[in-house]
Amino acid sequence: MTPRPPGLETLRRVDVDVREDIRAGREPFARIMAAVKALGPGEALVLRAPFEPHPLYAVLGAQGFARWTERLAADDWRVWFHRPAAEPDTETSSTLDVRGLPPPEPMVRVLERLDRLAPGGTLTVLHARRPMFLYPQLDDQGFTHVTDEPEPGLVRIVIRRAPEP
Amino acid sequence: MTPAASVRPSVALPLAYVCTAVVTFVLAAAAVPWLSTELAGHYYQPHILALAHTVTLGWITVTIMGASFQLIPIMLERALWSERLAWWQLAFMVTGVTGMVGHFFLGAWSGLVWSAALVALGVGLHLLNVARTVRGVGRWTFTARMIALALAGLGLTTLVGFALGLDKLVHVLPGDLFANLHAHVHLALLGWVLPMMLGVAARVYPMFLLSAEPAGWPGRVQLWGVALGTPATVAGLCGVRGLLVAGAFGIVAAVVSHLVWLGAMVRTRRRPALDTGLRLVLTGAAALPVAAALGLALALDLTSGPRVALAYAALVLGGWVSLTIAGMLLKIVPFLVWYRAYAPLAGRAPVPTLPELSSASGERLSWVLLTTGMAALVVALWIGEAVWIRVAGSVVAAGAITLGATLASVLRHLVRRPAPAADAVAARRPA
Repeated sequence: MTPRPPGLETLRRVDVDVREDIRAGREPFARIMAAVKALGPGEALVLRAPFEPHPLYAVLGAQGFARWTERLAADDWRVWFHRPAAEPDTETSSTLDVRGLPPPEPMVRVLERLDRLAPGGTLTVLHARRPMFLYPQLDDQGFTHVTDEPEPGLVRIVIRRAPEP
Repeated sequence: MTPAASVRPSVALPLAYVCTAVVTFVLAAAAVPWLSTELAGHYYQPHILALAHTVTLGWITVTIMGASFQLIPIMLERALWSERLAWWQLAFMVTGVTGMVGHFFLGAWSGLVWSAALVALGVGLHLLNVARTVRGVGRWTFTARMIALALAGLGLTTLVGFALGLDKLVHVLPGDLFANLHAHVHLALLGWVLPMMLGVAARVYPMFLLSAEPAGWPGRVQLWGVALGTPATVAGLCGVRGLLVAGAFGIVAAVVSHLVWLGAMVRTRRRPALDTGLRLVLTGAAALPVAAALGLALALDLTSGPRVALAYAALVLGGWVSLTIAGMLLKIVPFLVWYRAYAPLAGRAPVPTLPELSSASGERLSWVLLTTGMAALVVALWIGEAVWIRVAGSVVAAGAITLGATLASVLRHLVRRPAPAADAVAARRPA
């Protein structure tokens, strides 16, 4: 388990326990999203689930949430979702791994990161396949990009924002 | 490291095909209770032939063609050769299939042949377009090979089907009518639909299930099973009886290998909860071993007759193919709509997730109605009681209407999407 991120204890907890929902065969997604929608500043959603909720990571990650996961037992997981402290306005070089995310989360993540990319900066994206639907979006925004496959099952896309004239 | 080819996958084109196909599916499903008396009899009747071609051409083939135009750029990583040709193809297919169904219904063979010629033209355009698209493809993956097999099967099915129609006017085909008819049906099923669905499954299911891409011996067995099993089965049905059983075993081996892959994908998936689209796909897959066993029993002469044949057809076309396609549509349509409506906003403004575009209750209801209705229809057709066929057909029709309404609610996002903020649009344009 990774160490608890600093500042988490200062957030007000909004607890949502979906273990009973899942055991009863009920879909808890709508309930979780309603709680997320109602989250105010300084609040964190604390989710209890009988398994690690990987799909939710992608969904809430795309909405800017960071997470901290605690495994309390094999069938008892507690995940804190919170909005991280403000990040720098721009970045010049970074890597983003979007393998294992369902469509269209990889595209959302990449475009979010590109929005913060400084002029002349590069973003290296690690993907499971060539993102054929992303390329036109990159072209529309004036990014240059090159793609290669360093190993089977790994596609690397290096995206560069043009430097300021 | 090379600059990526920036193809711009069309959204309107696959959506036009899919919408056409779903409307056809609703009409076909609604026709089942209406034709219950005929369905309780022999399958070789004008109205049943009209229904069969509504399902196989208007629903299944048009969906596969439309989905190909979305999936080929993803699966083969290259742009479609000509989008304009694909629009012409849709026009020929819609006109041709409508004509074929109408003339089958009336038993008017001359008009049927002309309509079949239009369908053949549409199929020809599809083959040309996809062949030019995949020309020079660098890696002949399992999926690429299966698509190539499927396209060969589609071409042959169309030729044999056209010849069957022409045979009504001028005697052109040797052999027995029913032998030729069964060969045509199995060429379509095993030569066109089966390899396409197995090939697409290997590439697309891992994306949806978030599992490892399948590999190993099951792929080889599927390829050889279909490549050898289909011609052997068709030749066996045409009179070379010794080949029929061998071909059937080849197909069964391919089906079992596909299910082995599917089982591995389901077990290794990183998405624990299955959404309704995936449930439909897996329920459809559950019909496949039953259909394969029934097909093998028919090949071995353990069972026979029009009742079993109709139940077998419903199990394959309604149970496996239709449920799988319905599940895939619940994944494909929201993605296309999201891409058209929200991709330009992604990263700059909050955008909905795919589940938020659709109605979860509508999806679940269509799954329940379609799966129970299809299962009941298979049993009712086997028994041959018109009243039970009418009841089961009504449930299927309700499921099809629910599916259509659910997908229509997704399409509404195309017209009521939020306008992008002016600064966001400006920032997205290159300087």
